[in-house]
Amino acid sequence: MRVVSQSVVPRDITDEFTVAASRLKTGQLVKDEYFTLFEAVGALEIMDSKMDSGYLGPGENRAQALEDDYDLTRELAPDEVLGVMDGLLCYEMAWHMGHPLSQTLFTSLYLDKLLWPVPKTLDEAHFFRGRLATNKEDPAMIHLVLRAYCLALVKCCDFVHARVATEYYFEEEDFVTQLYNRTLLSQFEPEPFYDLLNRAISWIDEQKGKIEENVREAIRTRLLIRREFLLALEQDIEVIETRSREHFLVCLSQFDHLTKSASLGKDVSDSFSLKIQRKLASTVPPRPMVKINFDDALAHLKRLCQDAVDLQEIIDYHGPYNLKVTIWTLLSRKPQPSVYIRSLVQTLIVNNMTILGAVPVKQFLYDELAELVLPSSILLQANIDEIEVPSDPRFQIAKQMDAFVKRFSQPFVDTFRSACLNRCRIRRTVCHTIADWDNLQMEAEDLDEQLRTLSNEPPLMLANGDATYSYPLSSWAYHHKLNQFRLILQLGFELSIYAPEELPGMYWYLSHICSTHLGHIDRVRTFTVATAKRNLTDMAAKKRGALERHAALQKSLRLLERLTTQIVAIDAFAISLHALYVLLARHHVLPTASSAQAYSSDRLRYEIRMKPFLQITLPELVPYDEYHREAMLEGDSDETVLERATKAISEARKAWEATLANGAFMPEFDDEANTAPAIEEDWKRDVKDTMRACIGASIAIETVKKSLKSNANSAQSKDPANASSVNLRVIIPEAGSKARWHDWWIVPQVSQATVGPKT
Amino acid sequence: MDENKAVQYLDSLIGRTLRVHATDTRIFVGTFKCTDAARNVILASTYEYRLPSPSAVRDAATGAEDPAAGSAVDAQNIKVNMTSRFIGLVVVPGQHITKIELEETPQQIRTREALKK
Repeated sequence: MRVVSQSVVPRDITDEFTVAASRLKTGQLVKDEYFTLFEAVGALEIMDSKMDSGYLGPGENRAQALEDDYDLTRELAPDEVLGVMDGLLCYEMAWHMGHPLSQTLFTSLYLDKLLWPVPKTLDEAHFFRGRLATNKEDPAMIHLVLRAYCLALVKCCDFVHARVATEYYFEEEDFVTQLYNRTLLSQFEPEPFYDLLNRAISWIDEQKGKIEENVREAIRTRLLIRREFLLALEQDIEVIETRSREHFLVCLSQFDHLTKSASLGKDVSDSFSLKIQRKLASTVPPRPMVKINFDDALAHLKRLCQDAVDLQEIIDYHGPYNLKVTIWTLLSRKPQPSVYIRSLVQTLIVNNMTILGAVPVKQFLYDELAELVLPSSILLQANIDEIEVPSDPRFQIAKQMDAFVKRFSQPFVDTFRSACLNRCRIRRTVCHTIADWDNLQMEAEDLDEQLRTLSNEPPLMLANGDATYSYPLSSWAYHHKLNQFRLILQLGFELSIYAPEELPGMYWYLSHICSTHLGHIDRVRTFTVATAKRNLTDMAAKKRGALERHAALQKSLRLLERLTTQIVAIDAFAISLHALYVLLARHHVLPTASSAQAYSSDRLRYEIRMKPFLQITLPELVPYDEYHREAMLEGDSDETVLERATKAISEARKAWEATLANGAFMPEFDDEANTAPAIEEDWKRDVKDTMRACIGASIAIETVKKSLKSNANSAQSKDPANASSVNLRVIIPEAGSKARWHDWWIVPQVSQATVGPKT
Repeated sequence: MDENKAVQYLDSLIGRTLRVHATDTRIFVGTFKCTDAARNVILASTYEYRLPSPSAVRDAATGAEDPAAGSAVDAQNIKVNMTSRFIGLVVVPGQHITKIELEETPQQIRTREALKK
């Protein structure tokens, strides 16, 4: 509401204004010096039907500008109540999917009556507002059942709105938080809503025999689901304490009934009206209602409930590596979990500097370092609170490490949180953070050098006699940076960013990054092995803590081994696809997106793909000429390239099998039971899909091999016309299509062309 | 009024709150930002006011006994609030403007009167 002091007096200046304006020359403006024409373009034009949401069309009666003929107090038949409920559910889910309230729920005349003017008490929010009390008894079907359902639905939206708005999301891309100066009943405690629902449910129970049984049951189911859904949403992040998934499970158990009774409701479409947009505080032009069908709405709600149930598997903390696997696997589900789930996961990951409501951020970062680069190191054990002598190196170490935690914990936690964005945004975000990690790595290197002298780290002697040090913190940062390199490339495949002609080069680049990463992990391993060797002598001498150190070192070595297997698997598959695509490109059967006259060229495309990596110091950018040589396998004969593809794909299959056998999670103890069965299932499916893609690639390679062979044969015979072109048809399967076994692995479908060769 | 004076006058209104009445009886109240020869007016942070609907008037008239109705009633006169909503930055085309009013505080009125003398 606009605040106006009472004493303001309006003065008619129409004439002066009109005269003054008429003196201006055409095109001359009088304007606020800070007001730009660019801003003016965004102004809504009044009296323009496309821009002005308050505009009345020529046929529209001014008296009915804001009013609909629909009578909210009229009695509704049970099947009509059912129809309104299902209509509302569709709009509710459309809102969850990212459409604004003005085009969805806020088109309901029933909701409008409840929410505007803003009710001061919950009792005030009813459909008979502003009417005189009549002697007639209020119809219970509407006043009790429908009202309870509507109010609870709005309260559900309130919880969803509150959660999403506190987390990181993209307005109008993931979700629209705009409320148009209304409230979602956030001023009221949730308890009375349950009372209303329970009263409605017991009233419906009493109607047994009075209204048609299947309609009665259907209404009852909807009230029940609404109650459970509200309870579940009210629980929100409390789930960390309660660990209860009961409410979501009850919702899920009712879905069959919901689906079956979908046809019983009678559509009451005139209880929804676009006219309400004329009353909403809105700075955008009028927009049409968003209609989604009931099946899609149900599917969305069902997925939300299922994701919410499985989300509980994230909460038990089993170290940073396992946490990352659970989060990535859950959020990579197709279709991607809804924005509410993604927001909830963000809050669970970190809230008040605590991970999963249990682990302080510092501990989390230390766990990560211990897992990868610093098993049982003095660096992680030094504690400033225990050593108070500033001259003690441990005091110095603790001070340095605290500085490290301060600087690195946020970017580190963000590598987890970024998974909660939508897929396009994940890639964009990582393209930005990778540059930060480059800087972080350099800072970590400085810290490493200072810590090395403080901790008296023994150097490792190289074969050529040079001494080298472990640089644990920068090694760790580099590991994360390389992970991000890989993610950018793989999400590039998933998001269909690369044109077919770029695929040979991009898979080469992926394998290039993988081999760099493998080399880096080898380096880390060398130092861990050296430490383990030194520790063996300590063990033999039965030194204090040697046994624990041994266990920690072994655990870290196991993780490094596991990472190696995974990256080898990715590397081998990438090498094989690279070789396959090189052959297809060489024989001109690879489809191209750009036409022959296009301005784009390989060099320009390479430049644009490398843009996120330009400012990265390590790994160094591959110069175009070198890239071109490597990516096109220049100088290698077809046979050599084929050999390479065949060898690599069989290695890839083995490595992926080994990855699958290793399982999704790092066991903390040998006999540990798996605590995330549903997420592990998803993870397995993902690996199996990759293996299917491997098989697809082997078949494609075989087809190319045969074709090249017969080509070579016909070249030897006297048919030179055929020798120049292989007779293959290549299709690049779209992301999401059935032939695309895995989003990250674009395996071409290669087949003998049905049309005979040119004769 | 010559051109200089006209520009000076309009310039003096920039940043003030105007009430612009449109041909369809709506009133737009916002901060004056820009105008041109066609008298198109750009207002920022605008609220749209609309005359109350006939049914709201009827309800207010018959709801005399109902204290919760939120309208003041005395004898034949009833008072019903105009409905308003925020719509932000708008341009009201000159041909749709029926009346322009300037909001003034008593202080501003006094200053203006003093300047006149």
